[in-house]
Parts: sequence; C-alpha cells; structure tokens
Amino acid sequence: MSLKLTASLVAAALPLAATAAPESFTVDPYHSIPYFEVVHLNTSIIRGHFEKISGKMTLDSAAKSGSIELSIPTATLSTGDNDKGSRPRSRDEHLRSPDFFNVAEFPTMTYKGKATKFNGDHPAVIEGELTLLGVTKPLTLTVERWNCGPDPRSQGKRYFCGGNATASFKRSDFGMKFIVGPVSDEVKLWTSVEAFRD
Amino acid sequence: MMQDLLANPAVQGGAAPFVAGLIVAVLLGRYRLGGLAVTAAFATAVYFIAGFGFTPLSATRKIILLGLVAPIAGIVVDFAFRPTRLGSILLAIATAAAAAWVFWPVLSQREFARALLPGAIALLAAAWVVGYSEQRLAGDSVRAAASGLALGAGTGVAAIFGAALTYGLYGVAVAAGSGAFLLVQMITGKRSYAGATFTLSVTVVAILIAAAAMVLAQLPWYSVAVLALVPVAANLPLPAAAALWVQAVLASLYGFVVAGIACVLAWHAGG
Repeated sequence: MSLKLTASLVAAALPLAATAAPESFTVDPYHSIPYFEVVHLNTSIIRGHFEKISGKMTLDSAAKSGSIELSIPTATLSTGDNDKGSRPRSRDEHLRSPDFFNVAEFPTMTYKGKATKFNGDHPAVIEGELTLLGVTKPLTLTVERWNCGPDPRSQGKRYFCGGNATASFKRSDFGMKFIVGPVSDEVKLWTSVEAFRD
Repeated sequence: MMQDLLANPAVQGGAAPFVAGLIVAVLLGRYRLGGLAVTAAFATAVYFIAGFGFTPLSATRKIILLGLVAPIAGIVVDFAFRPTRLGSILLAIATAAAAAWVFWPVLSQREFARALLPGAIALLAAAWVVGYSEQRLAGDSVRAAASGLALGAGTGVAAIFGAALTYGLYGVAVAAGSGAFLLVQMITGKRSYAGATFTLSVTVVAILIAAAAMVLAQLPWYSVAVLALVPVAANLPLPAAAALWVQAVLASLYGFVVAGIACVLAWHAGG
C-alpha cells in the first residue's frame, strides 16, 4: 500500500518537476519575422523585414528566467522594392550595400538576451545585446504579448510559445551613418517570435 | 541653415573637398606638396560622411586608413628616393598586398569560385593603376591631375550606379581634390609637382574604392577593369605646343571618355 502511494506521489510530481526545469525551444523561422522601420525625408515611415531568422530560446516560467539567441541573415532584407526598373539599382539592393547593412562583409545580425522582468508567467522585458555591422550594443526588447501552449496544428503533440517584441536604437551607434537625417537615425524594431519546445 | 548645407551630400563629397583641396594646392604647391590636395579633399569627405572611427576595422575603414597612409608613403618616396622602374613595381606590389588586406576577410567568406574573379580584379587593378601612374604620370603633373580627375569622377559615378553612394562621394572627393590641383596649374599656367605624393594619394584611394564597390556592392568587375585604363587614356599624346590649360582639358577628356564607358557599363549591369 505504501509502495503504491509512493509511486503515485512520484508520478504526480514528475510533470511539476518537468515544468519547473528550464525548457529549450527552437525558433520557428516561418512565423518569426523581424520588421524594422525608419522615417524617410521626415515624411512617411518605410518598413522592411528580414525573410529569414534562426535561433534558440530557453524559458523557465517557475524560476522566472529565460534567454534568447537570434541570428538574422541581413541579405534577406526586403522593403518591397526589389525591382530596379529604370533606376540603376533598387532600394533593397542599396540597403544591402555598404551604405547601410553591408551584407557582403557583415552577413549576420545577432541578438542575445535574457528575460529580466516577467508579467506573471510571461517574459515582459528582455535585456541583451544586438550585434550589427560588427558593433555590439545593448538593446532592450519589450515583450508586447506572449503565450504558450499545445500547437493546434499538431493536435497538441507539439508545445510552443510565441509573442511580439519591440525595441528601438540609433543606427549611427552601429556605424550606419549614411544620410542620417534624410533617413532617420532612429530605427524601430518589431518582431514576431514563435518557437517549438525541443 | 549651415548644418543643413554641410549635411548635403553634394557639399560633403564635392564642394567642401574641392575647397580644402584648393587651399592645400595653393599653400603647399611651392613646397612640392601640392599633391596633398587630394588627401585634404578625401579627408574632408570622410570627416563629413563617416568620421574617423576605425573600430571595427571594416574594409571601408581600411581604405580610409590607406588613404591617409598613401600620401605619407608618397612624400617618403619623393624626398628620399629617385623614381625608378623598380620603385614603381614595388609600389604596385605593395598596393596589391594592401588590396588583399582590405578584401580578404570579405572574400574568404565566399566559395572559392565566387571569390576568385573579384579578388583577382581587385589585386590586378590596384597594382596596375598604382604602378602605371607612378611610372608614367608622376613626372607630369598635368596628366597626373587629369587622370585623377577622371578616375575619381568615374569611380564615384560608377560606384553610385553600383548602389554604393558613400563610395560614390569618396570618388567624387578624389576628383574634387585632383580638379583643384589641376585648376591651380591651369590658372597660373605653370606646372606643379605631382610625384608619388599626388599619384599614390589618388590611385590608392580611387582604385580601392572602385574595387570595394565591386566586392561589397554591385559594381561589375568589367567596370573596374575599364576604370583601371583611365591613367593610360590620360597619357595619350597631347599637342606639345598647346597652352597648359588646353593640354589639361584634352588629357581630362581622354580620361573622361574611358571613365564614361565604365559608368555606362555599371548602369546597364543590373540587367
């Protein structure tokens, strides 16, 4: 009887132990899309995004800790202007040049951060470092929404988390100084992130 | 108002470098250092466009660094050595090595087949332009200045067509400095001293910028190859009896024709 009771208690405790341990996740590249926006000639806001991203994430809701590492191939940027038409080059081609992202020399942009504030079980603030054009500077992401649960596309067999995060930085801090003024120095980031539990 | 003016790319890459180059050409010409007009122009453009930070030491920053070292090397060559063919060859080899230092970190990230052509063109063009200019143009300040004017302008416009506006402005700045050096000669009717001080200042910066626009942006390799022929064009025969300003205009025109071809090729390269 006591053996049965012990076995039952152990069995009941196992899921709790599993939940409490830090869980690792792999970023879903199809539903994780980093967007950026700048002000053009002090008039409109021009938005662009990177078409590829990869990364890993850990999350321990019980301990209120987590970390994220993202890697973005900068050559995959798009602002919707890929066709040069009658011009010598398109805007996206110009953005890939040394005037801006210099993708041939610095093909990858990375972000490494740790969740420092939680809103209940959900990460609310991630403090980390962005590396762009070979320069590493602090960047804080504010998590706007966050949720975790069974993935309905797999009939609940997969577990995933996801949400949105925002940040802003000055591009000149990273050495991207071309026509600061006509194209705003401040760059706003908005990214969606989804990640599957490993 | 003044701040807006200084933020204008035409001022940053053209007007301000030209004024700086003109001042240096006038003040230092009597000391055989008028060729530093190009360095003054280039440094002015760098100051306004990117600043003099060198961390991380990217390819562009290496070119800026070489642009500041080249005139020092030129002064040493002019004042400590007699011009010889061997000296020109050594300078050509040194510039090719400098090009390898600039571009190797970028090209080494590519597959060998994709790195071979731009790498070879960058090294060969750098060696050729520097070696030829040192051997054939350094002793003729009018041809040297005309070559610098056309090479700088051609590099600048072609780089802009290759989606690299910063490089374009640097190229225009080299043209502005060369133009200032040439203008002083045209107005006074007297030849200045070019030497390695001038030719190295022009050629190292201009050809490395052209190569950078190829390696890091979208300038086609054949545009760079054509730009490398600008010094040859500036060395075509001129009417010896003609006034200095006529020779200057003609030599510049020769250079501009070749530079123009490079620009047309760059414009059409996007398909």
